[in-house]
Amino acid sequence: MATIDSQKDYYAILDVPLHAVDDEIKQAYRQKARTYHPDSGHGDAERFREVQEAYEVLHDEVLRRAYDRQREKRGLSENAPVTLTLEQSRVEIMPMAASQMLYVMAEIRPQTGIRRETVHQNLNIALVVDRSTSMNGARMRNVKVAAADLVDALGPQDRLALVAFSDRAEVLAPAHLVDNKSLFKSALATLTSGGGTEIYQGLLAGLEEVRRHASADTINHVILLTDGRTYGDETRALVEARRADAEGISISAFGIGEDWNDEFLDSLVRSAGGVSRYISTPSDVRVVLKQQIRGLSRILLQNLKLEVNTAPYVNVQYAYRAAPYLEILERSGNGVVPLGNLMVDEPVVVVLEFIIDQADMGERRIARLDLVGDGASLRTGDASEPIRLRQDVNVTFTLNPKEEPVPAKLLNYLARLSVFHLQERAWKALGVGDVKMATAYLEYAATRLFDLGHRDLGQAAMLEVGRLARGSDPTQEGRKKLRYGTRSLTGF
Amino acid sequence: MTQKGTKVICPSCGAENLPGTLFCTQCGTYLPSGGPLRTEPFPDQEDGRIARPRGEGKEGEEAWALNIEVEVLNTGRKVLLSVDREILVGRLDAAHGIFPELDMTTDGGLEQGVSRRHARIYTREGTCFVEDLDSTNGTFLNEERVTPYLPYAFRDGDVLMFGTMRLKVHIYSSR
Repeated sequence: MATIDSQKDYYAILDVPLHAVDDEIKQAYRQKARTYHPDSGHGDAERFREVQEAYEVLHDEVLRRAYDRQREKRGLSENAPVTLTLEQSRVEIMPMAASQMLYVMAEIRPQTGIRRETVHQNLNIALVVDRSTSMNGARMRNVKVAAADLVDALGPQDRLALVAFSDRAEVLAPAHLVDNKSLFKSALATLTSGGGTEIYQGLLAGLEEVRRHASADTINHVILLTDGRTYGDETRALVEARRADAEGISISAFGIGEDWNDEFLDSLVRSAGGVSRYISTPSDVRVVLKQQIRGLSRILLQNLKLEVNTAPYVNVQYAYRAAPYLEILERSGNGVVPLGNLMVDEPVVVVLEFIIDQADMGERRIARLDLVGDGASLRTGDASEPIRLRQDVNVTFTLNPKEEPVPAKLLNYLARLSVFHLQERAWKALGVGDVKMATAYLEYAATRLFDLGHRDLGQAAMLEVGRLARGSDPTQEGRKKLRYGTRSLTGF
Repeated sequence: MTQKGTKVICPSCGAENLPGTLFCTQCGTYLPSGGPLRTEPFPDQEDGRIARPRGEGKEGEEAWALNIEVEVLNTGRKVLLSVDREILVGRLDAAHGIFPELDMTTDGGLEQGVSRRHARIYTREGTCFVEDLDSTNGTFLNEERVTPYLPYAFRDGDVLMFGTMRLKVHIYSSR
């Protein structure tokens, strides 16, 4: 009796398409069986058994249907819009009475062949602009131009709201279809600067506008543009962001200049599955905002989450995002890692650091990864049906482990992540007043940055090391340059 | 890099890392023999020996001072390199502060696809390593492309290729 192993790709083993009819399967089986038969010239008993197993399942109508169902659950079917593939630093491990490290890379890749047109979703966004006194001049001028670009980039099916805030928020243009662009542009003209910065007020007003028309069929998003720190309302803003995430509204934040609070904006957008960006010169506002809008219209899956379930002897030390940008990912208590949005042409890569405490022999499943996401625009149609993909991390514990090279891609990601983490550690140490540790981490980061050929970032790090050594604080500019510079160390 | 009991000691900062760690959690140094990734076992490695942090035990290092002579195959130019410190292979670019010890400019480096910061060569305990620095056209050891940022051991008589520039290596021990 044939057994079904959904981990195996029977279609690939027989080299037949997913929709192959029985005759094609039979023909492929005969040909493969001849090639791998142990009695033939280049026989391969293992492959032969696989071919036989594949045939037994695919040839049998009932078994094939059951197998297809299992594949579909794991996202291998033709209909799944994404693939989830894993690579491990080691597959065979020597069991030890002590902890050891295993790195696993999970690549979430949109299925090739999905075009932007097929995934087009209407946007429902609010642009929330800081109008505090410090925005006066070039910053405000550039923001206005960028916002006008934004209005032009949106179609009549998209919705937009314009909100300005200082110590209080003002809705310049309530959420409305962008069918009358001049309406929005004249609202922009009334935007003047003055007052303090209270991000909570602006965020709340922006979220309210988006909320009014939010649905599962639209991309619901708030874009926050600020140049300053907010005082005293951080906690309230974070609570709002988390609430927004639960409602399927994401937030992205853009900090202009050097005075904004990077840690706060980072955690704000992380709570709501978005990105934060550093805009060093006002004239870049236009470019960055344009990219953001283009990105939003390329969203394939929203609210992407990786659920990590580990064996009792396994712990996740860190979860990183390795692409499209670097980030130390936060995990909830039950092992859920929120990943935000998946773009149609931009794979997301997660690297997990597992610590294993296990001394027994044999093959074991040390972790199970489930990828969950909402897709409102897939050709499978059903908007309410979340996507779920599953992959297992299997390790063989043996006294004589095979010494295979670590996958080069994983190694490359790890090299960059380790630099990114070093400088993050430096800022953290500085945050608790440990200047000595911060200096050491920055120096290590600088060394590795020079090694990797990023001279400008290495120099920026050394500059801050110099300042710390002289007893002064690091510059806001250097800090942001390093944090956001190392974050984009993703190229190969 | 050396296993001390169940920990991997970083050769650069001396921090203890869990077995299987690939980059030191303290300083980010690549720990090549921390796992199954070992490229080439070091000749004098004894089990249980604790690696010295860099800078200590100078005499031990000097015993291994090596000289490498490279012959640029297309021009016939021979260069003697002393590998008591790291050698950068590339093309000189003073404007960007790039001063490679092995400068390929005069050998037609630009035309043959040598990057300004192409690769580095160094020795560890008597073995010579080449590490590609994510160069545009790659580094090849005996016709095989190496993965960037990974050390590859090479021996006397090996052929290194930077882009399309081929170099034959002769290694002499100076002691």
